[in-house]
Amino acid sequence: MINNSYICLELKINIMKLSYLFPNRYKKIGLFILIPSIIVGLLVVIYELEPELLDLNVPAVFIDDIFGDKKLIGITNNNILNEIFGVLLIISLILVAFSKEKQEDELIAKIRLESLVWATYVNYAVLLVAMIFVFGLSFLWVMIFNMFTILLFFIIRFNWQVRNFNKSIGHEE
Amino acid sequence: MKNSIKVERAKKNITQAELARLAKVSRQTINAMELGKYVPSTVLALRLASIFETEVSEIFVLEPSDWE
Repeated sequence: MINNSYICLELKINIMKLSYLFPNRYKKIGLFILIPSIIVGLLVVIYELEPELLDLNVPAVFIDDIFGDKKLIGITNNNILNEIFGVLLIISLILVAFSKEKQEDELIAKIRLESLVWATYVNYAVLLVAMIFVFGLSFLWVMIFNMFTILLFFIIRFNWQVRNFNKSIGHEE
Repeated sequence: MKNSIKVERAKKNITQAELARLAKVSRQTINAMELGKYVPSTVLALRLASIFETEVSEIFVLEPSDWE
């Protein structure tokens, strides 16, 4: 009986400590993937690189070719370079954004939450402005960047705020 | 909300860094609380009271603005 309630308590404490965050070391791994991915990804976008080597037949959930049939699940030909960098960017951004700090305490948790709200507002403010004033293919570019900017805005804001708190430590008397 | 963390710390003669280690939070958190920039959770308030061997209400005091 006593043993049972002890297990219950233990479980409750573990649930309370669940934070949906990665261990601290994943932040470095994330940065290690993120920085080259951004640089090479931008080069791919700017120079519209599509090496033939990566033209592959890949499985697709929905196919809507201009000169073909619409099909639900099938095989289509596609250059997979942009997919590779999209996946690398999202994974590395998530790791950098949501890895624990060296000392993840309740103040950090508060800064994290505030930064996430801030980043969401800024991201959608930018998207709203673009939606009203940018049209056609240019808007497609806005949407492509918008897939990543919410995480990027969060990372910048969060680290900036943490740095400000670190700086505000006065000299102790 | 006012707090007397700094005073209690002086009484015990411990630094912010030492208090941070005892309370299992970062030094930034201790500093932010002393400056009134951060209101701690109930758990942290109870930890601090336990470290200072006093009551939470001795360290943290409500102000009229807390009722607004």
